[in-house]
Amino acid sequence: MHQVEIATTKETLLDSPEMVLNMGPQHPSTHGVLRVILRLDGETVIDLDCDIGYLHRGMEKIAENRQYPMIAPYWDRLDYIAAVSNGLVWVETVEQVMGLDVPPRAHYLRTILTELNRIASHLLWLATHALDIGAVTVLLWALREREEILKIFERQFGARLTCHAWRIGGLPNDAYDDFEADVRRFVSNFPRRLDEYETVLSENRIWLSRTVGIGVISAQDAIAIGLSGPALRGSGVAWDVRKARPYAAYADMDFDVPLGENGDTFDRYLVRLEEMRQSRRIIQQAVDKLPEGPVSAKLPKVIKPPAGDYYHSIEGPKGEIGCYLVSDGSAHPYRVRVRPPSLINLQALRQMCIGHLVADVVAIIGTLDIVLGEIDR
Amino acid sequence: MSLVKVPKPSLMQKLKRFFLIDLVKGLGLTLKYNIGAMVDKDAVAGKGIYTEQYPKVRPDVAPRFHGAPRLNMDPETHETLCIACNLCALACPEDCIDVLAMDVEVVVAGKPRRKKVLDEFIFDTSRCMFCALCQEACPTSCLELTQDFELATYSRAGFVWNREMLEQGRETVKYTS
Amino acid sequence: MSISFFSLLLSPVNFIGDLLLKLGLSHDAVNSVVWPLIQISIVVLVVTLWVAYATYLERKISAFMQARLGPMRVGPWGLLQPIADGLKLLTKEDFIPEDADRWIFFFAPYIAVVAAFIVFSVVPFGPDWAVITDVNIGLLFVIAVSSVGVLALILAGWSSNSKYALLGGLRSSAQMVSYEVSMGLALIGGLMFARTLSLSGIVAAQASDAVWYLVYQPAGFLIFLISGIAENNRAPFDLPEAESELVAGFHTEYSGFRWSLFFMAEYAAMVVVSAVATTLYLGGWYFPFVHKLETGGFHNLYVLVSALIFVTKMAVILYLYFWLRWTLPRFRYDQLMDIGWKWLIPAALINIVFTGFSVFVVQALDGWGSLRTIESMSQGLNLTATGKLIMIGLGIIGLFITGGFLSLVNGRSRDFNLKSQRRNIRLVNLPSGTPAVASTKETAPTEA
Repeated sequence: MHQVEIATTKETLLDSPEMVLNMGPQHPSTHGVLRVILRLDGETVIDLDCDIGYLHRGMEKIAENRQYPMIAPYWDRLDYIAAVSNGLVWVETVEQVMGLDVPPRAHYLRTILTELNRIASHLLWLATHALDIGAVTVLLWALREREEILKIFERQFGARLTCHAWRIGGLPNDAYDDFEADVRRFVSNFPRRLDEYETVLSENRIWLSRTVGIGVISAQDAIAIGLSGPALRGSGVAWDVRKARPYAAYADMDFDVPLGENGDTFDRYLVRLEEMRQSRRIIQQAVDKLPEGPVSAKLPKVIKPPAGDYYHSIEGPKGEIGCYLVSDGSAHPYRVRVRPPSLINLQALRQMCIGHLVADVVAIIGTLDIVLGEIDR
Repeated sequence: MSLVKVPKPSLMQKLKRFFLIDLVKGLGLTLKYNIGAMVDKDAVAGKGIYTEQYPKVRPDVAPRFHGAPRLNMDPETHETLCIACNLCALACPEDCIDVLAMDVEVVVAGKPRRKKVLDEFIFDTSRCMFCALCQEACPTSCLELTQDFELATYSRAGFVWNREMLEQGRETVKYTS
Repeated sequence: MSISFFSLLLSPVNFIGDLLLKLGLSHDAVNSVVWPLIQISIVVLVVTLWVAYATYLERKISAFMQARLGPMRVGPWGLLQPIADGLKLLTKEDFIPEDADRWIFFFAPYIAVVAAFIVFSVVPFGPDWAVITDVNIGLLFVIAVSSVGVLALILAGWSSNSKYALLGGLRSSAQMVSYEVSMGLALIGGLMFARTLSLSGIVAAQASDAVWYLVYQPAGFLIFLISGIAENNRAPFDLPEAESELVAGFHTEYSGFRWSLFFMAEYAAMVVVSAVATTLYLGGWYFPFVHKLETGGFHNLYVLVSALIFVTKMAVILYLYFWLRWTLPRFRYDQLMDIGWKWLIPAALINIVFTGFSVFVVQALDGWGSLRTIESMSQGLNLTATGKLIMIGLGIIGLFITGGFLSLVNGRSRDFNLKSQRRNIRLVNLPSGTPAVASTKETAPTEA
């Protein structure tokens, strides 16, 4: 063992005035219309504040005036990268409240396609994160893999991005003819691609210099802020909604949950890469075990859940995405509240950035994997 | 400035760090891609070129694609299949659809009856979010979202489609070079 | 004298020479004035085309590395893309920011371009007439003139009257100045073998010793190349211009033709560093067995082939530039400056000391017993086969000694120990909880 210094804070030697820098809503690296106001001492961040709301579309208010099946397409537009997961929260909430009996084939297909969406979302995260740090080639390779998944979505749902994937009670259509072949082909090609990304990034000393020790958050702080998803697991907290409160067909699936150790950017990067591998494992099992049967439950003519408050959440790619539904017994919900994982993860930005340099802020926003559609709703 | 204990690197690790092996591995992979782009034909599993040269090459659109709306007609009688039931307009979350019906006199089994038929069908594609709830609601498979995704037009008014545009389709310029 | 294709090629030159002779100028005047002007125009034309098509090559090579096609629409295989880009930039609106310093804003891009292009007057593209001029302090001239380019950055950043352009300009110029030190120091190692500062002389020294100085000076080559890449603000050292918080660095406020001048200056500087690296380390226009063309009597052919060899070697280093940019992530600014000051400058200094020591060892060994290591010292340091083996061995030892010294200097710093700090993530198979039911009751995760 030998001793080395692992400092990230730089002591200020010169007495210089502070500068306020505005990383405005239009910015190549803030992943959407996020405004970050930084107070800098030279290049070191002393304080940070976020200004959000540039993408507010009033989705929750719109939902109060729509009937339950019509609200599903609006959920796609929250985290537009993981539209399939968002749709799943909503339909599962309504199904559980109504007590509908969703057939097992629907659960398995939901599992397969939601995990494909998780891989697609993580691929886009990897693409943009690597782009922000400078490895541009990984952006295009990851988008190529994502393109294969989007082709499967197009053939199954009819849309690539905002899919309107699920209906209350199951799926609108059964799996298309070549579904299994396409999914199996993707699953067999994917590990090689992940190894390619690791070759370029994981051992690369420049990547390590930019991500190790940057944006550290401890496990206690992570739980206190309410982080979820890979941001939480990167700090070592073992909480995954797929394991803790299984939904769809996850109870039948055998998979591991990757946990980080230091809570820095590099650990979150490794956690997400490993999650992609585990997702591939889940898809493989689900395709092998796919049961036959109907894909939709019998529905009443008008969906009118009993009055009351309900909360249901799933493990989306960005974190725990939840739906708090207040129903008054009519065909329109009284209140729909989204628990946006990106908004709650964004609360950690200030703590993670203070003491780092301005160039690190871009890397830290990337590692939190935020989507403004979800934050602003 | 904190000091922490880390494991001492082994000789192999030191040599690898000295010879920049981590950088060389990444560079080797991009070189393989550079060569593969010229020789490899397999883009999905290999290192070939993945680009589809649109608009020279028309893309493969899935059969279920939620594209431009169309009102289908009976193939033999060339009459519209729409029965003016208004279910599509009720199903639409965005209120894009306006179904205008009119009553006509028909003779059914010798008795004069009033039947509701479609007069005008207004579909605002600028508000549409292509969720396909209207397609699912239609009982006669009349309203269908086709595979046409090239919906651009030069004016705001061009987005509001009437019955004729929905039945005949639009004239679009297809670039082939 | 045989009528060859090349005397046909040179016939316009002969024509101009004859015309000027008829106008009354003496032979000497014609030779010393007209001929260099023709050379200059050829070199400027070729370098401008080379710079323009370097942008095309960068787009194509980067596209192939990313499994896509690159420019394909303008002309066959997109070959007319640089011309289309140039025309577009020429037709853009030319505006100067409010309260900007007009004359400095106007001149800064020209300073950058001129500083980059002037270097080509001493670069030896080939042996005889493929050099515009052979200054006997050529290398010093190159370093000095390319440093003038830094002035252009500062002026551009200052005159733009924008907070971010100024900061970007200052950062870029600080980076360039830091890496110029190591660039210059790295060259000294090679000079100990060439024993002349003239660039043509350096190539002639390598030719007469039948060796590329790369094999004697691997450390020097690496240091020079890394410093050159950082000098040009290219990835992985391009944070001042690529990082988003400062938009585009010093050329934020430039648009249209003025911006394209900066762009050209950047690529021309890349070509300059490639040319100097080729001259000093890759043997310049020298290639074994090409001299047979000269002895065979095809003098002009020999010069042309040598020029092509030089351009090919330059192209290899340019490919390295593109390769590095599109593979590696970029360094943060403080890491960048650390590398310049704490890694490259000590390495260059060690390289000088150790090279001097190796030359001393080889000279001392000459004549020791029956060992002959030096062949001649007239045109650079020419070594016998034994001498070459000893020198190559010492070069490799020098590489390790440099590495060892650098680890000693930087051993306790954070970035050096990252791989040791890195720990693997662990996979945990968590137990499954109760299936989810939408409710507002608090369910702790450990409830059975």
